[in-house]
Amino acid sequence: MAKGRFAQRGSIVKDLMTVSLRVNGILHEVAIRPWRTLLEVLRETLALTGTKRSCGEGQCGACTVLIDGRAVNSCLYLAAEAQGKDIVTIEGPVGGDPALEQIQRSFATKGAVQCGFCTPGMVMITKSLLAENPRPSEDEIRAALVGHLCRCTGYVQIVEAIQDAARELAPKGSY
Amino acid sequence: MAEDPRDKFHVLGRPTPKKDALLKASGRAEYADDIAMPGMLHGKLLRSPHPHARIVRIDSSRAAALPGVRAIVTGSDFPNIRYGNLPQTRDYLPLAIDTVRYIGDEVAAVAAIDEDTAEEALDLIQVEYEPLPAVFDPEAAMQPGAPQVHPLAPGNVSASSIFHFGDVETAFAKSDYVREDAFETQAVKQGMLEPHACIGMWDNIGKVTLWASKMSPYVVWRQLAMGLGIQPGSVRVVQTFVGGGFSGGKQEAMPMDFCAVLLSKKTGRPVKFVHGMDEVLTIGHMRHPMKIWLRTGTSADGRLLAQHCKLIANGGAYSSIGGFSMYLAGAMLNLPYRVPNIKFDAFRVYTNNGFCGALRGHTIPQLCFARDTQLELIAAELGLDPLEIRHRNAIQPGDVTANGFRIGTFAFDECIERVAETSGWREKRGKLPKYRGIGFGCGSHLSGARLMGHSASAAEIRVQEDGTVQLTTGSTDVGQGADTVLSMIAAEVLGVEAEDVRFTRVDTDSTPVDPGTFGSRVTFFTGNAVKRAAEEARRQLAEIAAQRMEANAEDLVFRGREIFNPRDERQRISLKDAVRWGAFRLGRIVSGRGVYAAGDENVDFRTGYGNLSPAYNPSACAVEVEVDPQTGQVAVVGFWGADDSGTPLNPLGVKGQVLGATVMSIGHALYENLIRVDGQVMNPSFRDYKMPLATDLPKLENFQHASVITWEPEGPFGAKESGQGAGTGVLAALANAIYDATGVRLTRLPMTPENILSGLKRVRETDRQRTP
Amino acid sequence: MTYLRRLPRFEFVSPDSLAEVCAMTAGASDGEVMLLAGGTDAILQMRRRERTPRRVIGLKGVAELAFVREQPDGSLALGAMTTLQTLLSAPVVRQRYDLLREATAQIGGQELRNVATVGGNIAGALPCADLPPVLMTLEARVRLSSQRGDRWVALEEFFPEFGRTVAVDGELVSEISLPRPAPNSAGTYLKFHDRQSMDMTVVGVSAFVVCEGETQVIRDIRLAYASAAPTVFRAREAEAVLRGCAMSEEGLEATAEMACKVSNPRTSWRANGEYRRELISSLTKRAIRHAWQKAVSRKGAAS
Repeated sequence: MAKGRFAQRGSIVKDLMTVSLRVNGILHEVAIRPWRTLLEVLRETLALTGTKRSCGEGQCGACTVLIDGRAVNSCLYLAAEAQGKDIVTIEGPVGGDPALEQIQRSFATKGAVQCGFCTPGMVMITKSLLAENPRPSEDEIRAALVGHLCRCTGYVQIVEAIQDAARELAPKGSY
Repeated sequence: MAEDPRDKFHVLGRPTPKKDALLKASGRAEYADDIAMPGMLHGKLLRSPHPHARIVRIDSSRAAALPGVRAIVTGSDFPNIRYGNLPQTRDYLPLAIDTVRYIGDEVAAVAAIDEDTAEEALDLIQVEYEPLPAVFDPEAAMQPGAPQVHPLAPGNVSASSIFHFGDVETAFAKSDYVREDAFETQAVKQGMLEPHACIGMWDNIGKVTLWASKMSPYVVWRQLAMGLGIQPGSVRVVQTFVGGGFSGGKQEAMPMDFCAVLLSKKTGRPVKFVHGMDEVLTIGHMRHPMKIWLRTGTSADGRLLAQHCKLIANGGAYSSIGGFSMYLAGAMLNLPYRVPNIKFDAFRVYTNNGFCGALRGHTIPQLCFARDTQLELIAAELGLDPLEIRHRNAIQPGDVTANGFRIGTFAFDECIERVAETSGWREKRGKLPKYRGIGFGCGSHLSGARLMGHSASAAEIRVQEDGTVQLTTGSTDVGQGADTVLSMIAAEVLGVEAEDVRFTRVDTDSTPVDPGTFGSRVTFFTGNAVKRAAEEARRQLAEIAAQRMEANAEDLVFRGREIFNPRDERQRISLKDAVRWGAFRLGRIVSGRGVYAAGDENVDFRTGYGNLSPAYNPSACAVEVEVDPQTGQVAVVGFWGADDSGTPLNPLGVKGQVLGATVMSIGHALYENLIRVDGQVMNPSFRDYKMPLATDLPKLENFQHASVITWEPEGPFGAKESGQGAGTGVLAALANAIYDATGVRLTRLPMTPENILSGLKRVRETDRQRTP
Repeated sequence: MTYLRRLPRFEFVSPDSLAEVCAMTAGASDGEVMLLAGGTDAILQMRRRERTPRRVIGLKGVAELAFVREQPDGSLALGAMTTLQTLLSAPVVRQRYDLLREATAQIGGQELRNVATVGGNIAGALPCADLPPVLMTLEARVRLSSQRGDRWVALEEFFPEFGRTVAVDGELVSEISLPRPAPNSAGTYLKFHDRQSMDMTVVGVSAFVVCEGETQVIRDIRLAYASAAPTVFRAREAEAVLRGCAMSEEGLEATAEMACKVSNPRTSWRANGEYRRELISSLTKRAIRHAWQKAVSRKGAAS
């Protein structure tokens, strides 16, 4: 098996491995242990602490990021598996992201944020939902949120925020 | 009220987004786990695997030898000073020394270069235990010969609250109708998304700093000082953003806090501790499970004449705030109905389980579940309409309850009627299809309690030379919106916008001492303090502006970021110019201080008599459910609530609070149950400790809440609490709805599909036997 | 009390091809090597130290294992690494295997479905897994691949006992094949849990019915269960009751009774065995009724 600085496909590297992660449009080359989760690397190696560590089991959604546009629990994904993939976190791209910002604004104005710990995950699943379904029904919104727990709001204002964001992002009058 | 009091406001009364919402929504709010400091070490706690055992010996030498481990502490590294929440029940130690009393009790702690190493080190700490007999059921624990959880608590009674107002026996004798029912409630966890987290630092000149997610930093401050055997002045608690709390561990000093600072002392580095969520669900801090016996006597027309309530609470291994918990349950039995004769016997019992304390609503929801369920049973027996019986007994403004509560505003009748209206109660009741039902439930809460010890809040307001306002209090925003509503109060007084006010998070080195956030005290107590502080600052500014403009201070109005005389256009100055002129010309700093302490009255917690709070609020709700008759599964299809929270100062915030409290109660009623078998928590995971998800709730159009607006003179700009009362009536409402839908009367929580299905079988069997 | 920990130390390798994977699993003992598909179960098992492999083989990069292919003979071939989300959105699944779509939609939330795989849901051998009963009623066959070659096993015979599959000696699930459903057929999957979403299945019933076009007689009926026994199983004895018969309440009743008889639901702190039996009974009837209605109305029928 070939060894080397870079984690080539097929090579077994013991202890530290180098992984290239494209996060929010920026390519990071990091030396990590193979058993690090994506959540751990984002928070502890890349200091992107917007993505939260909570239940560790894929129940609460606080760790949700987008991998190649798809919402994924980063606590259940190895950093090494994210090699070569496009990762988007709550911090968003450096140049800004109008859709992300609108969702954040809607969350703020509709009272969807109380303690805020579930919020990054909620915003990310909203971004994923609206990208795929720009005019979701209330049932579709609720179904999209089942991987997310909120203990503060009772979800009402979160659903309203998502509807608001959809309205703002959709072509005028279509939602 | 004919006119809406909010029409007079300029800032208050408008739905105002939370000040830190955008920060949180963009992932930039820094919670304790987000903080990294140079050289920081990572801590992990070793926990007892036994529900009750003597610690014979701890050998941490192998752990200490593991590369990357920097220090280890055990109970004997601390001064063996017990601390606690109430003076008479200090039974906490930072780490167990001789005895562990529940599975999860903390025994040792490690600081290492990373979490992996710290975890590995825990495996290498060898603890020799001598298991002791354990007891898990409170009634068993009260029996003679039961294992003693604490040496100084005979019969394992951790706390009791016994009172008797009036004469229940005579009243029962005079009652036309008497019934007694038993109820049982379960262990429920706070369920906040952010696990407990802290960073401790003990510097080389003896200053201890704790950055932590805390709702009551000053409580932590005092407890840390006590448990460490040092002066509070040497301790600094810095409150980080709180990712939810609902009381529990974030209300007090926890073993992680003590260990973080002591390990820092030993290593010279900051030490961070973060609980895993399974740890959070395993350790103490939860709602008291209770067995409640309620005996009620009424007149033939349903007027409550007497109530005798006996309850046994499974308190778990330590006291926490348990003494107060017992008192509060009985105290709030006096609301929202008039009960002229009332007897209350509550016992909190030690067992070898995780310990219980406060959790949104505290012990009130359990009592309301029992009481409002029984009220429905009484109404049915007496042939009374469920709303009628509630109106008949409703507390009125101006009442003085049997236990000495002096009621100010209390629009309970209006709340009942508003719910009846919005829910379509009268059109639906008795007319819904089979297996669909609607139920009513009521409760109440208070706006901050006059506890023994420190109850007051203080605020400081400084108006800066750019016209912005720095607001400092010792109260914490834990997500409930204190930052925003307090800023709005200051802005209203000073004639600026809420966005002009900066709200400081608590730092015990610089913010005024404060009990913290619990008991719905902040909008009320701290709000009043902020109002007073702002008024003082305004007075100072008026003086400065008057001098500047040669006007009379009394003529000046503060609005739109200006100070002006409405009768003389020439006398107008911007707020910031006034500040600058005062600062640069007169050398004055505009700084107002205010304190609110809700008066000198005290509650005699021994007799239970006294006016606990400056204000009380009623809550009413109706819930509509649909039950699957073959599986027992419940779908909550409609919810309509109404609360008298006085004048809602931030309607956006009030909405979030009442709906949030409601959904927590729905979870409490239907899904949540911390299952303990022989002291072992079986479901320490959000997968199996089930809290409501977005699909468990009614659609938006059927999920509504109304504010019945009153003006509470004691409250700041008429406000009362909104965060806890709304959840208190929901449990009974659901029980009553399920009964309406199925004929199954459940008196135990949670009301699971399994229990409903067996109830349905019994009902069908009874029906079968009845029909010839 | 085992608390969740950080993942244990392991080597991680990310092969490109099935052949490479087989080479790595060949000769490796069970505990040494672990295949990581979606990860939603495996990562938690490792965090609980239930599994501590020395080497983790990540399968997310094995492109040849992720596919949804309509075969010339009308059967459906699913690569083991096909995610649940891909399954949900595949047109052929929506058009022809509505039962599979319906069941997949009830599993977890978006985040879970975006990584969890069909193969993983089968290979995990969990008695509460939802896809195995569904696929059993669709008469799925599983391809096991190893360095020694491939072999096919009927899914019905895949779980010999609790927690185990028939895969041996470095074999891994590589493909699932579903025959083309007969005309006038439909299925439904009923999954019971307390909340409306996300919960572990307390009882799961998959019912697939094939009807005679004219008479609506039940030509074939297949029933399979999750969380009703130590393994997911197909209840052939219960199927025999209604097979070849017209739909009737008595038939449903008898089928449900037989299903309870052949089930072996356990009592745990999660749910009572007796309650599970009640659910098996009610949900069996409900599922068959629903599947039959779909089949005769041609709503779920294969084209």
